Amino acid sequence: MAAGQVLVGMAEIKVIKGTGQLTCLGLGSCIGLLAYDAESGVCGMAHIMLPEAFKDKPVDKPGKFADTGVPALLAEIEKAGGNIRRLTWVFTGGAQVFKYGAGTASKLDVGARNGEAVNAHLKKLGARILAQDIGGTSGRTMVANIETGEVRVRTVQGGEKTLCQLKRVRAEAA
Amino acid sequence: MAGQTYEFDLMQMSAIREMANIGLGHATTALANVTGKSFNMDIPNVETVCLEEVPMMMGDPSDVCVGISMPIEGDVEGYTAFLFPWKSAQELWGMLLGYSPESPEDVDDLPASAMLEVGNILSASFMNALSDMTGLKIHATPPMVSIDLAYTIAASIVAEAELSDAVALAIETRLFGMENQQTTGYFLCVPTLEGLNKLFAALGIQGAA
Repeated sequence: MAAGQVLVGMAEIKVIKGTGQLTCLGLGSCIGLLAYDAESGVCGMAHIMLPEAFKDKPVDKPGKFADTGVPALLAEIEKAGGNIRRLTWVFTGGAQVFKYGAGTASKLDVGARNGEAVNAHLKKLGARILAQDIGGTSGRTMVANIETGEVRVRTVQGGEKTLCQLKRVRAEAA
Repeated sequence: MAGQTYEFDLMQMSAIREMANIGLGHATTALANVTGKSFNMDIPNVETVCLEEVPMMMGDPSDVCVGISMPIEGDVEGYTAFLFPWKSAQELWGMLLGYSPESPEDVDDLPASAMLEVGNILSASFMNALSDMTGLKIHATPPMVSIDLAYTIAASIVAEAELSDAVALAIETRLFGMENQQTTGYFLCVPTLEGLNKLFAALGIQGAA
């Protein structure tokens, strides 16, 4: 990846400030969760795998779970100089990519549960959700460009589209 | 424990390699029988990694692939999956159907069910070989097919595996060489630690902790 382009791998949390772009590659059942503070230009992204941490196991990577990932993302943003009371949120993913076959109505349905869990945690925070694109049967790649404020989502079958514009929020809020 | 890389000793690693060899040997033969073409099998790499690393190991993570996921049930539980990069999947379709969808958008019910059938054949022969070798009851459940990025498919399997407490991971990156064309596939096997230890015990090998 070129300089300034940060890939957020499974279970990771990455934060950038002012410039560059954050990418969650190939989100299937996982969720890419983005939080942006327009004033400081701090933007964080978490690549969440599962709805909640296991009760009987230590959490090695808080970004892996929705319940530990949301507070961990807030902490990272604060550490980078962002104000967590000013955040706008975007999230995508939570698909069931196994479209064909008898087992597709999986009892586990990790994607849907991830989407619900992230939604519930954001609601608890009273978070301002600018955009979300979840569910369905297509994997998504989410790219947030901090310079332009553009958040784009790409799928194999549907091509690429702009999901939302982070900077417009700043103009409206001002 | 989640996120952990398990250490296997030489004996355990060679047992994993041997099971993969025999299981995949049978699967390859079965695939040759339905396609009428011969396949070479090669196991370039057997590794155990932590689950989050898996999606980066299935070839180029941003390649479009056809993924066939096959959950395992019985005495041993877990997941196995084959990933065929798009060009290789097209070659398989050519052999099975006499034509191939040109792009992922063109995949409809017939090519999808052809891949489900490939999954049925591969997993049944793989699990039967393991069953015969160990005397354990190991059976395949109906396969599922996805057409998406290699990363997406592998990540979705791994997430579900972790949720079902598939704590251990043995991964084989696999290659199918063919006479003229190159049909390449990747094989992923994610048993639970408990399941893997049952396999070890059946072969008279000490289990992993």
